[in-house]
Amino acid sequence: MIEARHLTKRYAGRTAVDRISFEVGKGEIVGFLGPNGAGKSTTLRVLTCFLSATEGTATVAGYDIYEDSLEVRRRIGYMPENVPLYPDMRVGEYLRFRAHLKGLGYRECRAAVAEAMDTCSLTAVERKMIATLSKGYRQRVGLADALVHKPDLLILDEPTNGLDPGQIRQSRHLIRELGERHTILISTHILSEVEMTCGRVIIIDRGRIKASDSPRNLICRLRRPGSVLLEAKMPATAAAKLASIVGVKDVNPTEDGDGWTSFVLTTDPQMDVREAVHELAIAENWKIRELSSRTASLEDAFVDLLKDGAPSDPVESKT
Amino acid sequence: MRPFSILFLKELRSFFLSPMAYVIMALFTFLNGWLFVSMVRAMQLQASPRSLVHNLFASGWFWMGFLILFPLLTMRLFADERKMGTIEGLLTAPVRTAEVVLAKYGAAVAVYLVLLLPVFAFFPLFRLVTGEAMAFQNGAVWGSLLGLFLIGAFHVSIGTLASALTANPLIAAMLTFVFVMLHYFLGFLQNFGMVTGSVWSEGMSYVSTTEHMNVLAEGLIDSRPIVYYVSFSVLLLSLTHHVLESRKWRA
Repeated sequence: MIEARHLTKRYAGRTAVDRISFEVGKGEIVGFLGPNGAGKSTTLRVLTCFLSATEGTATVAGYDIYEDSLEVRRRIGYMPENVPLYPDMRVGEYLRFRAHLKGLGYRECRAAVAEAMDTCSLTAVERKMIATLSKGYRQRVGLADALVHKPDLLILDEPTNGLDPGQIRQSRHLIRELGERHTILISTHILSEVEMTCGRVIIIDRGRIKASDSPRNLICRLRRPGSVLLEAKMPATAAAKLASIVGVKDVNPTEDGDGWTSFVLTTDPQMDVREAVHELAIAENWKIRELSSRTASLEDAFVDLLKDGAPSDPVESKT
Repeated sequence: MRPFSILFLKELRSFFLSPMAYVIMALFTFLNGWLFVSMVRAMQLQASPRSLVHNLFASGWFWMGFLILFPLLTMRLFADERKMGTIEGLLTAPVRTAEVVLAKYGAAVAVYLVLLLPVFAFFPLFRLVTGEAMAFQNGAVWGSLLGLFLIGAFHVSIGTLASALTANPLIAAMLTFVFVMLHYFLGFLQNFGMVTGSVWSEGMSYVSTTEHMNVLAEGLIDSRPIVYYVSFSVLLLSLTHHVLESRKWRA
């Protein structure tokens, strides 16, 4: 659906996007992840033809973003970062205007707008002035605007920006649903969002792609070890036995004060040592009140990837 | 529906939904109404070699009110879109930049014409009230209408360009005002410090708005002002298009 080759965007004295190449296949939900200022929004703006690339090319649905810009824009539903809306229009009015603008005829426009409003739960506020809407509703109107002409590709720039936790959850659910019918490219710096919705993540920093892989694989590639938390009642000498379990690299005990001890076991990230710990506990007759694995999260992988100052060659793998 | 008509209607709608359009219309009509009455009274007291139509549209009061219109009409055209960020939504929709420019320009010109109409309603009203059918000639009225339409279209194009150059509507208004005024006063150069009949004086008279109106308000349809205003409007509109497109490339 999207193919970008050596896309570059330079501003005076600064390279915002530096020769990035990536692909998004049809039906995928891909997350563009990076710190603020990484070049995510700039890349999206180049893809949606709002900006022109300094170098490099990209095609969307087979159409070149420079040569066939009109065709590209017909196939993309774009939701910009600040969700710009006209404050002096009503919700339904605005969506009908946008639907017409995107080429829908009069009759199909009404049906399409009704459907988009239904998908984004906007039917109740159809007659409300956009200036009076709360942030959550504004985002939904922006999303409905992106959906209204039923594009093949949705490009969403920070879609949960400024939403409260309940709205974020709804939004995530909606995106997953939409992912069944559309190809989606989301740009965000919220890791949990990406972990829960995206099949693949492209990590971008300072204009360069650092990694492109599924969240699971990125975590597995982590060089940092995982850890297991154990809260048990055992004689003081028994701690040494924990160190002997295969896969445990380090044992870090803390007295909890009420007779229980917390152990933080540093383990090999690929191995789950909990079963072995449990068996050891049974054999030694220890009491356990917590045994959990603090597996590395995407946040750990992200921070780890980004702390290399040197731009690494992007390790691409399609899942 | 074609993008041009959609955008055009939307702009029109947003002009007429704001109270500003009506306030301007009321003030402009009031100013010119008072001026019209004064002109008639003045001409009653002292016969004038020129027609009522000419006297009305040559008076300084008229031009003062007239030239202020354009910054007010055009300042929000593009500057507002850039300020609110909606220009991003507009230019990422499948519409050509040329369609956007023409639609916004067209809507501003349409609003301008609506603002102008009450003033031209004075003439038939005058005839109705006084029964003086021969007080002025029809040709003069039509000529003035054509002249003001062209001049207005030109000034609106100045305003459109100014609006596209900045993200701040106030600066756009100031730019428009300065350039509109500059152009108007350029037309007076032929009278000040220039030897009448010299090359410079002749040259300036081609550019002079006052001169153009003098001719057209007599009912003489001269192709020179028509070509002048149409070609400049086209030039400024294409510059506007370039300014918008160049933002994609610029830092």
